[in-house]
Amino acid sequence: MIVLADAIDTAIIAKGLMIGGGFIGPGIGIGIIGGNYMQAVGRNPEASKFLGQALVFVAIVELFALLAFASIFIVK
Amino acid sequence: MFGALHSFAATSSGPTVFITPLSLFKIGNITITNSMLFGWISAVILIIFFTVIAHRLTVKPKGGLIQLVEAGADFITNLVTSSFEDKERGRKYVPYFVTLFFFILFNNWLGLLPGVGDSITYHGNPLLRAFTGDWDATAAAGVVTMGLVYGASIKAAGFKKYIKHFFIGSPLNPMYLFLGIIEMFTDLTRVVSLSIRLFLNVTIGEIVIAVFSYLGHVVAPLTATPFTLVEIFIAALQAYIFVILSVNYLAIAVNHVTHNEDLTDEDVPETMALRPEKA
Repeated sequence: MIVLADAIDTAIIAKGLMIGGGFIGPGIGIGIIGGNYMQAVGRNPEASKFLGQALVFVAIVELFALLAFASIFIVK
Repeated sequence: MFGALHSFAATSSGPTVFITPLSLFKIGNITITNSMLFGWISAVILIIFFTVIAHRLTVKPKGGLIQLVEAGADFITNLVTSSFEDKERGRKYVPYFVTLFFFILFNNWLGLLPGVGDSITYHGNPLLRAFTGDWDATAAAGVVTMGLVYGASIKAAGFKKYIKHFFIGSPLNPMYLFLGIIEMFTDLTRVVSLSIRLFLNVTIGEIVIAVFSYLGHVVAPLTATPFTLVEIFIAALQAYIFVILSVNYLAIAVNHVTHNEDLTDEDVPETMALRPEKA
């Protein structure tokens, strides 16, 4: 009986799952930040000066996507 | 023009990706890596550049480059001084953060130059590597910056008051003790989060450029140029984010410890239960 793990390169599957799963959360997070920023600008156009702060939060969220991306180099 | 820029990555064997710096040679027991070499080169470039700029500064500067540097320095100065409640206290930290901003910005941009990467090799290893694309370098920046934050807050408040500002109530209450210790750990992990954010942004940007110039093959300039432009933007954004986050950590700590009369548990009703009832 052929063991499935021998027949399939599981590292490829692991990398795919890691990238896919790891990018969902930051994607949602950046969407929420951007959506709320646009909502704030829509309600109060003066709020458009806070784009820099919104980008800071985008960078904080983005870190986790980058961690997921960097992790694929650890999987052999 | 851009063909020469990107063709080095479009090899037939797939893109070569290094996420760690490679050693070039040894001086005594110290291994010199390619990122260290490029860090020294960019430091020399920065020193020469800013010495020339500083000698040319006048009230009405001529030339776009000086105005660009002045605008950047002014921007960071406003950022730092507006973060502090006490403007004069904030002005003390301005030189460090302006230096940090330009150092990270120029290292990120110099790392995108052609020739930095796989095109020039020395004993089989790439000779140059972006200085901020090395975790050791960004960790050093993070350690120095957070060391400044801790040192400045201790200097502003005294050691006892500084330790006390982690606790929202009396440390004798186990809940507040636990929360305070977690708060201390949060403060320590900022070294890692600051440095790893910068390192991963730069390194993964290089990987993305390498991958897309590989996928483009013959039309590598067309596929890789948009990502190079995005990387130029991200390099500036990451320098800004590194500075604004460290300024915020410093400002929050210093503003907190210099204003913490309300942190004693005298007026906090939740901690009353620990003490005998005042009858």
